[in-house]
Amino acid sequence: MKQLVGNKLNNSAAFYLRIWLIMAKNAILSWLNKRESVVIFVFAKVVRYFFYFSFLYFLVTKTNGIVGFSANEVLFFTATYTLVDTIAQFLFRSVYTFRQLVVSGDFDLVLLKPVNPLFRSIAGGPDLMDLITIPPIMAVTIYFGLLLNPTILHTTYYILLIFNALLVSMSVHIIVVSLGVITLTVDHLIMIFRDFSSMGRFPIDIYKEPLKGFLTFIVPVGVMFSIPSKALMGLLSPMGILSSLLFGLAFFVLSLRFWQFALKKYTSASS
Amino acid sequence: MKKYFSVFKISLAQEFVYKLNFIMWRLRNTIQILVFFFLWSSVFTGGSEVSYFGYTQSSIMAYTFLLVLIRSIVMSTKSTDVSGYVSNGELSNYLLKPINFFKYLLARDSSTKILNIIFSIIEILILYLILKPNLFIQTNMFQIFLFIISLVIACFIFFSIVMLANSAPFWVPEIGWGVQFLVTVIFVEFLSGAFFPLDVFPKPLFEFLKLTPFPYLVFIPIQIYLGNISLLENTKNILIGGLWAIILWQVMNKVWKKGLKIYEAVGR
Repeated sequence: MKQLVGNKLNNSAAFYLRIWLIMAKNAILSWLNKRESVVIFVFAKVVRYFFYFSFLYFLVTKTNGIVGFSANEVLFFTATYTLVDTIAQFLFRSVYTFRQLVVSGDFDLVLLKPVNPLFRSIAGGPDLMDLITIPPIMAVTIYFGLLLNPTILHTTYYILLIFNALLVSMSVHIIVVSLGVITLTVDHLIMIFRDFSSMGRFPIDIYKEPLKGFLTFIVPVGVMFSIPSKALMGLLSPMGILSSLLFGLAFFVLSLRFWQFALKKYTSASS
Repeated sequence: MKKYFSVFKISLAQEFVYKLNFIMWRLRNTIQILVFFFLWSSVFTGGSEVSYFGYTQSSIMAYTFLLVLIRSIVMSTKSTDVSGYVSNGELSNYLLKPINFFKYLLARDSSTKILNIIFSIIEILILYLILKPNLFIQTNMFQIFLFIISLVIACFIFFSIVMLANSAPFWVPEIGWGVQFLVTVIFVEFLSGAFFPLDVFPKPLFEFLKLTPFPYLVFIPIQIYLGNISLLENTKNILIGGLWAIILWQVMNKVWKKGLKIYEAVGR
Protein backbone atom coordinates (compact mmCIF):
# COMPACT_ATOMS: atom_id res chain seq x y z
CA MET A 1 0.00 0.00 0.00
CA LYS A 2 2.81 2.32 1.02
CA GLN A 3 4.62 1.57 -2.22
CA LEU A 4 1.51 2.31 -4.21
CA VAL A 5 1.17 5.71 -2.54
CA GLY A 6 4.88 6.29 -3.08
CA ASN A 7 4.59 5.50 -6.77
CA LYS A 8 1.70 7.89 -7.12
CA LEU A 9 3.73 10.58 -5.40
CA ASN A 10 6.74 9.89 -7.64
CA ASN A 11 4.61 10.42 -10.68
CA SER A 12 2.98 13.56 -9.45
CA ALA A 13 3.80 16.97 -10.82
CA ALA A 14 4.48 18.25 -7.28
CA PHE A 15 7.21 15.66 -6.82
CA TYR A 16 8.94 16.66 -10.06
CA LEU A 17 8.53 20.33 -9.30
CA ARG A 18 10.28 19.76 -5.97
CA ILE A 19 13.10 17.86 -7.67
CA TRP A 20 13.40 20.58 -10.31
CA LEU A 21 13.63 23.29 -7.65
CA ILE A 22 16.42 21.39 -5.89
CA MET A 23 18.33 20.98 -9.18
CA ALA A 24 17.72 24.64 -10.06
CA LYS A 25 19.00 25.72 -6.65
CA ASN A 26 22.13 23.58 -7.09
CA ALA A 27 22.72 24.96 -10.59
CA ILE A 28 22.32 28.53 -9.38
CA LEU A 29 24.63 27.96 -6.38
CA SER A 30 27.22 26.49 -8.74
CA TRP A 31 26.98 29.56 -11.00
CA LEU A 32 27.23 31.90 -8.01
CA ASN A 33 30.64 30.40 -7.32
CA LYS A 34 31.71 31.98 -10.61
CA ARG A 35 30.23 35.43 -10.13
CA GLU A 36 32.67 37.17 -12.51
CA SER A 37 31.71 34.76 -15.29
CA VAL A 38 28.01 35.30 -14.68
CA VAL A 39 28.45 39.09 -14.91
CA ILE A 40 30.44 38.81 -18.17
CA PHE A 41 28.02 36.33 -19.78
CA VAL A 42 24.93 38.32 -18.82
CA PHE A 43 26.59 41.51 -20.09
CA ALA A 44 27.55 39.72 -23.33
CA LYS A 45 24.00 38.47 -23.84
CA VAL A 46 22.55 41.94 -23.24
CA VAL A 47 25.07 43.47 -25.67
CA ARG A 48 24.18 40.81 -28.26
CA TYR A 49 20.44 41.56 -28.00
CA PHE A 50 21.16 45.28 -28.15
CA PHE A 51 23.29 44.95 -31.32
CA TYR A 52 20.82 42.58 -32.87
CA PHE A 53 17.72 44.67 -32.30
CA SER A 54 19.58 47.86 -33.32
CA PHE A 55 20.61 46.32 -36.63
CA LEU A 56 17.13 45.04 -37.29
CA TYR A 57 15.55 48.34 -36.31
CA PHE A 58 17.76 50.32 -38.73
CA LEU A 59 17.23 47.73 -41.47
CA VAL A 60 13.45 47.42 -41.32
CA THR A 61 12.74 51.10 -40.74
CA LYS A 62 14.78 52.05 -43.83
CA THR A 63 13.37 49.28 -46.02
CA ASN A 64 9.79 49.63 -44.70
CA GLY A 65 9.69 46.03 -43.48
CA ILE A 66 10.34 42.78 -45.32
CA VAL A 67 8.20 40.24 -47.23
CA GLY A 68 5.05 42.26 -46.59
CA PHE A 69 5.54 42.57 -42.84
CA SER A 70 5.87 46.05 -41.32
CA ALA A 71 8.91 47.13 -39.28
CA ASN A 72 7.08 46.54 -35.97
CA GLU A 73 5.88 43.13 -37.10
CA VAL A 74 9.41 42.02 -38.06
CA LEU A 75 10.72 43.24 -34.71
CA PHE A 76 7.93 41.29 -32.99
CA PHE A 77 8.92 38.10 -34.88
CA THR A 78 12.45 38.54 -33.61
CA ALA A 79 11.35 39.30 -30.04
CA THR A 80 9.18 36.14 -30.03
CA TYR A 81 12.09 34.06 -31.33
CA THR A 82 14.37 35.47 -28.62
CA LEU A 83 11.78 34.83 -25.91
CA VAL A 84 11.09 31.19 -26.86
CA ASP A 85 14.77 30.47 -27.46
CA THR A 86 15.82 31.96 -24.12
CA ILE A 87 13.13 30.15 -22.10
CA ALA A 88 14.08 26.88 -23.83
CA GLN A 89 17.76 27.54 -23.06
CA PHE A 90 16.87 28.21 -19.44
CA LEU A 91 14.79 25.05 -19.04
CA PHE A 92 16.76 22.54 -21.12
CA ARG A 93 20.35 23.63 -20.53
CA SER A 94 21.40 20.22 -19.15
CA VAL A 95 21.15 18.77 -22.67
CA TYR A 96 24.51 20.45 -23.33
CA THR A 97 26.19 18.31 -20.64
CA PHE A 98 24.34 15.10 -21.45
CA ARG A 99 27.07 13.65 -23.67
CA GLN A 100 29.51 13.54 -20.77
CA LEU A 101 26.99 11.50 -18.74
CA VAL A 102 26.68 8.91 -21.50
CA VAL A 103 30.35 8.78 -22.50
CA SER A 104 31.54 8.39 -18.90
CA GLY A 105 28.86 5.85 -18.02
CA ASP A 106 27.57 8.13 -15.25
CA PHE A 107 24.19 7.89 -16.91
CA ASP A 108 23.86 4.57 -15.02
CA LEU A 109 23.52 6.58 -11.83
CA VAL A 110 20.70 8.61 -13.37
CA LEU A 111 18.90 5.42 -14.43
CA LEU A 112 19.17 3.97 -10.94
CA LYS A 113 17.47 6.92 -9.25
CA PRO A 114 13.69 6.88 -8.64
CA VAL A 115 13.25 9.82 -10.99
CA ASN A 116 12.37 9.73 -14.66
CA PRO A 117 15.80 9.72 -16.43
CA LEU A 118 14.47 11.85 -19.26
CA PHE A 119 13.44 14.55 -16.81
CA ARG A 120 16.92 14.53 -15.26
CA SER A 121 18.57 14.53 -18.71
CA ILE A 122 16.82 17.51 -20.25
CA ALA A 123 15.78 19.62 -17.27
CA GLY A 124 18.58 18.86 -14.82
CA GLY A 125 20.34 22.20 -14.74
CA PRO A 126 18.46 25.41 -15.50
CA ASP A 127 20.65 28.32 -16.56
CA LEU A 128 20.85 31.29 -14.20
CA MET A 129 22.06 33.67 -16.92
CA ASP A 130 19.06 32.98 -19.10
CA LEU A 131 16.79 33.40 -16.10
CA ILE A 132 18.20 36.91 -15.59
CA THR A 133 17.61 37.86 -19.22
CA ILE A 134 14.05 36.46 -19.49
CA PRO A 135 12.20 39.40 -17.79
CA PRO A 136 13.68 42.13 -20.05
CA ILE A 137 13.11 39.99 -23.16
CA MET A 138 9.52 39.44 -22.05
CA ALA A 139 9.12 43.20 -21.59
CA VAL A 140 10.49 43.88 -25.10
CA THR A 141 8.16 41.23 -26.59
CA ILE A 142 5.13 42.72 -24.81
CA TYR A 143 6.15 46.21 -25.96
CA PHE A 144 6.40 45.24 -29.64
CA GLY A 145 3.26 43.09 -29.30
CA LEU A 146 1.23 46.00 -27.94
CA LEU A 147 2.33 48.14 -30.91
CA LEU A 148 0.40 45.69 -33.13
CA ASN A 149 -2.89 46.31 -31.22
CA PRO A 150 -3.85 42.63 -30.84
CA THR A 151 -7.33 41.51 -29.74
CA ILE A 152 -7.79 39.45 -26.56
CA LEU A 153 -8.58 36.37 -28.67
CA HIS A 154 -5.39 36.74 -30.73
CA THR A 155 -3.35 37.31 -27.58
CA THR A 156 -4.82 34.10 -26.11
CA TYR A 157 -3.87 32.21 -29.30
CA TYR A 158 -0.37 33.67 -29.05
CA ILE A 159 0.13 32.57 -25.43
CA LEU A 160 -1.22 29.11 -26.24
CA LEU A 161 1.13 28.79 -29.20
CA ILE A 162 4.11 29.96 -27.14
CA PHE A 163 3.46 27.02 -24.79
CA ASN A 164 3.14 24.84 -27.87
CA ALA A 165 6.49 26.20 -29.11
CA LEU A 166 8.10 25.24 -25.81
CA LEU A 167 6.57 21.75 -26.12
CA VAL A 168 8.07 21.43 -29.62
CA SER A 169 11.39 22.73 -28.34
CA MET A 170 11.30 20.16 -25.52
CA SER A 171 10.55 17.45 -28.09
CA VAL A 172 13.56 18.49 -30.18
CA HIS A 173 15.76 18.39 -27.06
CA ILE A 174 14.39 14.90 -26.28
CA ILE A 175 15.27 13.77 -29.82
CA VAL A 176 18.76 15.25 -29.42
CA VAL A 177 19.48 13.40 -26.13
CA SER A 178 18.00 10.22 -27.64
CA LEU A 179 20.38 10.51 -30.57
CA GLY A 180 23.08 11.21 -27.98
CA VAL A 181 22.42 7.83 -26.34
CA ILE A 182 22.64 6.08 -29.70
CA THR A 183 25.48 7.99 -31.39
CA LEU A 184 27.30 9.57 -28.38
CA THR A 185 27.12 12.91 -30.22
CA VAL A 186 25.08 15.67 -28.66
CA ASP A 187 27.15 18.86 -28.75
CA HIS A 188 27.07 19.35 -32.50
CA LEU A 189 23.50 18.18 -32.93
CA ILE A 190 22.17 20.71 -30.45
CA MET A 191 24.27 23.49 -31.96
CA ILE A 192 23.04 22.60 -35.46
CA PHE A 193 19.48 22.68 -34.14
CA ARG A 194 20.19 26.07 -32.59
CA ASP A 195 21.57 27.33 -35.90
CA PHE A 196 18.50 26.12 -37.77
CA SER A 197 16.21 27.55 -35.13
CA SER A 198 18.05 30.89 -35.45
CA MET A 199 16.51 31.02 -38.92
CA GLY A 200 13.25 31.66 -37.04
CA ARG A 201 14.49 35.11 -36.02
CA PHE A 202 12.79 36.32 -39.17
CA PRO A 203 9.38 35.42 -40.61
CA ILE A 204 9.76 32.01 -42.20
CA ASP A 205 8.30 33.51 -45.40
CA ILE A 206 11.71 34.98 -46.31
CA TYR A 207 13.05 31.49 -47.10
CA LYS A 208 12.41 29.73 -50.37
CA GLU A 209 11.50 26.10 -51.03
CA PRO A 210 12.79 23.49 -50.26
CA LEU A 211 14.39 25.23 -47.26
CA LYS A 212 11.04 26.67 -46.19
CA GLY A 213 9.46 23.20 -46.21
CA PHE A 214 12.42 21.81 -44.27
CA LEU A 215 12.02 24.53 -41.63
CA THR A 216 8.30 23.86 -41.41
CA PHE A 217 8.12 20.08 -41.31
CA ILE A 218 11.57 18.68 -40.42
CA VAL A 219 13.02 21.21 -37.99
CA PRO A 220 9.74 22.82 -36.93
CA VAL A 221 11.11 26.35 -36.73
CA GLY A 222 7.93 27.76 -38.26
CA VAL A 223 5.68 26.19 -35.61
CA MET A 224 7.97 27.37 -32.84
CA PHE A 225 8.62 30.96 -33.84
CA SER A 226 6.65 32.23 -36.84
CA ILE A 227 3.20 30.77 -36.14
CA PRO A 228 2.74 32.29 -32.63
CA SER A 229 3.65 35.74 -34.00
CA LYS A 230 1.29 35.34 -36.96
CA ALA A 231 -1.51 34.31 -34.56
CA LEU A 232 -1.08 37.54 -32.60
CA MET A 233 -1.21 39.51 -35.85
CA GLY A 234 -4.49 37.78 -36.70
CA LEU A 235 -3.01 36.09 -39.76
CA LEU A 236 -3.90 32.55 -38.68
CA SER A 237 -7.27 30.79 -38.88
CA PRO A 238 -8.57 28.74 -35.90
CA MET A 239 -7.90 25.65 -38.05
CA GLY A 240 -4.27 26.72 -38.51
CA ILE A 241 -3.91 27.15 -34.77
CA LEU A 242 -5.50 23.77 -34.06
CA SER A 243 -3.20 22.09 -36.61
CA SER A 244 -0.15 23.65 -34.94
CA LEU A 245 -1.26 22.44 -31.51
CA LEU A 246 -1.91 18.94 -32.85
CA PHE A 247 1.46 18.96 -34.56
CA GLY A 248 3.11 19.94 -31.26
CA LEU A 249 1.36 17.13 -29.42
CA ALA A 250 2.15 14.52 -32.08
CA PHE A 251 5.79 15.64 -32.23
CA PHE A 252 6.04 15.34 -28.44
CA VAL A 253 4.57 11.80 -28.43
CA LEU A 254 6.95 10.77 -31.21
CA SER A 255 9.93 12.19 -29.36
CA LEU A 256 8.97 10.20 -26.24
CA ARG A 257 8.70 7.03 -28.32
CA PHE A 258 12.14 7.72 -29.78
CA TRP A 259 13.57 8.21 -26.27
CA GLN A 260 12.17 4.81 -25.22
CA PHE A 261 13.77 3.28 -28.30
CA ALA A 262 17.10 5.00 -27.60
CA LEU A 263 17.18 3.86 -23.97
CA LYS A 264 17.12 0.26 -25.16
CA LYS A 265 20.30 0.97 -27.13
CA TYR A 266 22.21 2.33 -24.12
CA THR A 267 25.29 0.16 -23.57
CA SER A 268 26.56 1.65 -20.32
CA ALA A 269 30.04 1.95 -21.85
CA SER A 270 32.93 3.08 -19.59
CA SER A 271 31.00 2.39 -16.39
CA MET B 1 61.27 27.34 -39.27
CA LYS B 2 61.31 23.58 -39.89
CA LYS B 3 59.72 22.84 -36.52
CA TYR B 4 56.87 25.24 -37.18
CA PHE B 5 56.28 23.58 -40.51
CA SER B 6 56.04 20.29 -38.60
CA VAL B 7 53.49 21.89 -36.26
CA PHE B 8 51.58 23.01 -39.36
CA LYS B 9 51.59 19.48 -40.81
CA ILE B 10 50.59 17.80 -37.52
CA SER B 11 47.84 20.33 -36.98
CA LEU B 12 46.53 19.73 -40.49
CA ALA B 13 46.51 15.98 -39.85
CA GLN B 14 44.64 16.55 -36.57
CA GLU B 15 41.84 18.30 -38.43
CA PHE B 16 41.21 15.04 -40.30
CA VAL B 17 41.08 13.06 -37.06
CA TYR B 18 38.00 14.99 -35.95
CA LYS B 19 36.27 15.00 -39.34
CA LEU B 20 32.75 15.24 -37.93
CA ASN B 21 33.73 18.27 -35.83
CA PHE B 22 35.06 20.00 -38.91
CA ILE B 23 32.08 19.14 -41.11
CA MET B 24 29.65 20.34 -38.44
CA TRP B 25 31.61 23.60 -38.04
CA ARG B 26 31.40 24.21 -41.79
CA LEU B 27 27.71 23.33 -41.82
CA ARG B 28 27.07 25.85 -39.05
CA ASN B 29 28.89 28.52 -41.05
CA THR B 30 26.79 27.70 -44.11
CA ILE B 31 23.54 28.01 -42.13
CA GLN B 32 24.55 31.49 -40.97
CA ILE B 33 25.29 32.49 -44.55
CA LEU B 34 21.92 31.15 -45.70
CA VAL B 35 20.14 33.35 -43.15
CA PHE B 36 22.13 36.36 -44.38
CA PHE B 37 21.42 35.49 -48.02
CA PHE B 38 17.66 35.03 -47.63
CA LEU B 39 17.25 38.07 -45.39
CA TRP B 40 18.91 40.35 -47.95
CA SER B 41 17.19 38.62 -50.86
CA SER B 42 13.86 39.46 -49.25
CA VAL B 43 14.96 43.09 -48.84
CA PHE B 44 15.94 43.36 -52.52
CA THR B 45 12.75 41.90 -53.96
CA GLY B 46 12.36 45.08 -56.06
CA GLY B 47 15.04 43.86 -58.50
CA SER B 48 18.53 44.90 -59.50
CA GLU B 49 17.72 48.63 -59.78
CA VAL B 50 16.84 48.99 -56.09
CA SER B 51 19.54 50.23 -53.72
CA TYR B 52 19.60 50.24 -49.92
CA PHE B 53 22.42 51.55 -47.71
CA GLY B 54 24.54 52.02 -50.84
CA TYR B 55 24.22 48.38 -51.92
CA THR B 56 22.58 46.97 -55.02
CA GLN B 57 21.29 43.41 -55.16
CA SER B 58 24.50 42.17 -56.84
CA SER B 59 26.83 43.93 -54.40
CA ILE B 60 24.99 42.66 -51.30
CA MET B 61 25.10 39.14 -52.75
CA ALA B 62 28.84 39.56 -53.29
CA TYR B 63 29.02 40.68 -49.63
CA THR B 64 27.22 37.47 -48.60
CA PHE B 65 29.53 35.18 -50.55
CA LEU B 66 32.65 37.07 -49.50
CA LEU B 67 31.61 36.59 -45.89
CA VAL B 68 32.05 32.81 -46.31
CA LEU B 69 35.58 33.29 -47.63
CA ILE B 70 36.67 36.08 -45.27
CA ARG B 71 35.38 34.28 -42.19
CA SER B 72 37.51 31.30 -43.23
CA ILE B 73 40.61 33.38 -43.80
CA VAL B 74 40.36 35.75 -40.84
CA MET B 75 38.31 34.01 -38.18
CA SER B 76 39.43 30.38 -38.45
CA THR B 77 41.59 29.86 -35.41
CA LYS B 78 42.55 27.33 -32.80
CA SER B 79 44.10 29.97 -30.58
CA THR B 80 40.89 30.41 -28.57
CA ASP B 81 42.01 27.26 -26.68
CA VAL B 82 44.80 29.26 -25.07
CA SER B 83 42.60 30.80 -22.36
CA GLY B 84 41.88 27.23 -21.21
CA TYR B 85 45.61 26.45 -21.18
CA VAL B 86 46.18 29.47 -18.92
CA SER B 87 43.29 28.57 -16.58
CA ASN B 88 44.23 24.91 -16.11
CA GLY B 89 48.00 25.28 -16.19
CA GLU B 90 48.49 23.42 -19.48
CA LEU B 91 50.35 26.47 -20.77
CA SER B 92 53.40 25.24 -18.78
CA ASN B 93 53.82 22.36 -21.25
CA TYR B 94 54.25 24.84 -24.09
CA LEU B 95 56.48 27.24 -22.17
CA LEU B 96 58.92 24.40 -21.41
CA LYS B 97 59.34 23.51 -25.08
CA PRO B 98 62.06 25.15 -27.20
CA ILE B 99 59.53 26.98 -29.36
CA ASN B 100 58.16 30.49 -29.71
CA PHE B 101 54.62 30.11 -28.43
CA PHE B 102 53.16 32.76 -30.76
CA LYS B 103 54.85 31.23 -33.81
CA TYR B 104 53.54 27.83 -32.70
CA LEU B 105 49.99 29.25 -32.54
CA LEU B 106 50.35 31.00 -35.90
CA ALA B 107 51.55 27.74 -37.50
CA ARG B 108 48.56 25.92 -36.04
CA ASP B 109 46.17 28.66 -37.17
CA SER B 110 47.64 28.56 -40.69
CA SER B 111 46.68 24.89 -41.06
CA THR B 112 43.10 25.46 -39.96
CA LYS B 113 42.85 28.55 -42.19
CA ILE B 114 44.05 26.67 -45.27
CA LEU B 115 41.60 23.84 -44.70
CA ASN B 116 38.74 26.26 -44.08
CA ILE B 117 39.61 28.28 -47.19
CA ILE B 118 39.51 25.14 -49.35
CA PHE B 119 36.14 24.12 -47.92
CA SER B 120 34.73 27.63 -48.12
CA ILE B 121 35.58 27.81 -51.84
CA ILE B 122 33.75 24.52 -52.39
CA GLU B 123 30.77 25.83 -50.37
CA ILE B 124 30.73 29.08 -52.34
CA LEU B 125 30.63 27.11 -55.60
CA ILE B 126 27.83 24.85 -54.33
CA LEU B 127 25.79 27.76 -52.92
CA TYR B 128 26.33 29.69 -56.14
CA LEU B 129 25.05 26.80 -58.24
CA ILE B 130 22.02 26.26 -55.97
CA LEU B 131 21.04 29.86 -55.26
CA LYS B 132 22.15 31.36 -58.60
CA PRO B 133 22.48 34.89 -57.22
CA ASN B 134 23.12 38.03 -59.25
CA LEU B 135 26.74 38.50 -58.13
CA PHE B 136 29.25 41.35 -58.48
CA ILE B 137 32.71 40.10 -59.52
CA GLN B 138 35.67 42.45 -59.09
CA THR B 139 37.94 42.49 -62.14
CA ASN B 140 40.29 45.35 -61.19
CA MET B 141 43.56 43.63 -60.22
CA PHE B 142 44.77 46.57 -58.12
CA GLN B 143 41.56 46.46 -56.08
CA ILE B 144 42.07 42.71 -55.59
CA PHE B 145 45.67 43.35 -54.52
CA LEU B 146 44.49 45.86 -51.89
CA PHE B 147 41.83 43.37 -50.81
CA ILE B 148 44.51 40.71 -50.17
CA ILE B 149 46.61 43.19 -48.16
CA SER B 150 43.56 44.11 -46.09
CA LEU B 151 42.99 40.40 -45.35
CA VAL B 152 46.56 39.93 -44.11
CA ILE B 153 46.09 42.94 -41.82
CA ALA B 154 42.75 41.52 -40.65
CA CYS B 155 44.39 38.19 -39.73
CA PHE B 156 46.94 39.93 -37.50
CA ILE B 157 44.29 42.14 -35.86
CA PHE B 158 42.11 39.09 -35.17
CA PHE B 159 44.98 37.06 -33.73
CA SER B 160 45.95 39.96 -31.42
CA ILE B 161 42.36 40.41 -30.24
CA VAL B 162 42.00 36.68 -29.53
CA MET B 163 45.30 36.61 -27.63
CA LEU B 164 44.36 39.67 -25.61
CA ALA B 165 41.13 37.92 -24.61
CA ASN B 166 43.20 34.79 -23.85
CA SER B 167 45.32 36.80 -21.41
CA ALA B 168 42.40 37.56 -19.06
CA PRO B 169 42.68 34.23 -17.13
CA PHE B 170 46.21 35.20 -16.00
CA TRP B 171 44.44 37.60 -13.64
CA VAL B 172 41.06 35.88 -13.14
CA PRO B 173 41.25 32.19 -14.18
CA GLU B 174 37.46 31.63 -14.06
CA ILE B 175 36.60 34.23 -16.69
CA GLY B 176 38.50 32.71 -19.64
CA TRP B 177 35.55 31.51 -21.69
CA GLY B 178 33.39 34.46 -20.63
CA VAL B 179 35.87 37.00 -22.01
CA GLN B 180 36.35 34.94 -25.18
CA PHE B 181 32.58 34.88 -25.67
CA LEU B 182 32.23 38.62 -25.09
CA VAL B 183 35.14 39.66 -27.29
CA THR B 184 35.40 37.13 -30.11
CA VAL B 185 31.77 36.07 -30.37
CA ILE B 186 29.86 39.24 -29.56
CA PHE B 187 32.08 42.26 -30.34
CA VAL B 188 33.97 40.74 -33.25
CA GLU B 189 30.87 39.18 -34.79
CA PHE B 190 28.68 42.27 -34.62
CA LEU B 191 31.18 45.13 -34.98
CA SER B 192 33.30 43.60 -37.75
CA GLY B 193 30.52 43.42 -40.33
CA ALA B 194 30.40 39.61 -40.16
CA PHE B 195 26.77 39.69 -39.13
CA PHE B 196 25.53 42.65 -41.17
CA PRO B 197 27.07 45.51 -43.18
CA LEU B 198 28.04 48.26 -40.74
CA ASP B 199 26.75 51.05 -42.97
CA VAL B 200 23.23 50.02 -41.94
CA PHE B 201 23.95 52.07 -38.82
CA PRO B 202 23.44 55.88 -38.81
CA LYS B 203 26.48 57.76 -40.16
CA PRO B 204 27.85 59.14 -36.83
CA LEU B 205 27.78 55.67 -35.26
CA PHE B 206 29.28 54.14 -38.39
CA GLU B 207 32.11 56.73 -38.44
CA PHE B 208 32.76 56.05 -34.76
CA LEU B 209 32.96 52.28 -35.37
CA LYS B 210 35.58 52.91 -38.07
CA LEU B 211 37.87 54.29 -35.37
CA THR B 212 37.86 50.87 -33.64
CA PRO B 213 39.82 47.85 -34.98
CA PHE B 214 36.74 45.70 -35.60
CA PRO B 215 35.59 46.94 -39.06
CA TYR B 216 39.09 46.16 -40.43
CA LEU B 217 38.42 42.46 -39.88
CA VAL B 218 35.56 41.98 -42.37
CA PHE B 219 33.72 45.14 -43.39
CA ILE B 220 36.67 47.13 -44.79
CA PRO B 221 38.14 44.20 -46.79
CA ILE B 222 34.71 43.65 -48.38
CA GLN B 223 34.35 47.36 -49.19
CA ILE B 224 37.78 47.31 -50.80
CA TYR B 225 36.78 44.29 -52.90
CA LEU B 226 33.48 45.87 -53.93
CA GLY B 227 35.29 49.07 -54.91
CA ASN B 228 32.66 51.13 -53.10
CA ILE B 229 35.26 53.64 -51.93
CA SER B 230 37.83 55.87 -53.62
CA LEU B 231 41.52 54.98 -53.95
CA LEU B 232 42.40 57.64 -51.36
CA GLU B 233 39.86 56.21 -48.93
CA ASN B 234 41.15 52.67 -49.62
CA THR B 235 44.72 53.73 -48.87
CA LYS B 236 43.57 55.48 -45.69
CA ASN B 237 41.71 52.34 -44.59
CA ILE B 238 44.73 50.12 -45.26
CA LEU B 239 46.94 52.49 -43.26
CA ILE B 240 44.52 52.69 -40.31
CA GLY B 241 44.06 48.91 -40.37
CA GLY B 242 47.84 48.43 -40.49
CA LEU B 243 48.26 50.84 -37.59
CA TRP B 244 45.71 48.93 -35.54
CA ALA B 245 47.49 45.65 -36.34
CA ILE B 246 50.82 47.10 -35.07
CA ILE B 247 49.27 48.70 -31.96
CA LEU B 248 47.32 45.57 -31.00
CA TRP B 249 50.33 43.32 -31.63
CA GLN B 250 52.47 45.48 -29.31
CA VAL B 251 49.77 45.67 -26.65
CA MET B 252 49.22 41.91 -26.88
CA ASN B 253 52.96 41.27 -26.38
CA LYS B 254 53.11 43.54 -23.35
CA VAL B 255 49.95 42.12 -21.75
CA TRP B 256 51.11 38.55 -22.41
CA LYS B 257 54.53 39.21 -20.84
CA LYS B 258 52.88 40.80 -17.79
CA GLY B 259 50.55 37.84 -17.55
CA LEU B 260 53.41 35.36 -17.70
CA LYS B 261 55.08 37.11 -14.76
CA ILE B 262 52.09 36.35 -12.53
CA TYR B 263 51.29 32.95 -14.08
CA GLU B 264 51.19 30.32 -11.32
CA ALA B 265 50.46 27.18 -13.38
CA VAL B 266 47.43 26.49 -11.20
CA GLY B 267 46.33 22.86 -11.48
CA ARG B 268 49.81 21.55 -12.38
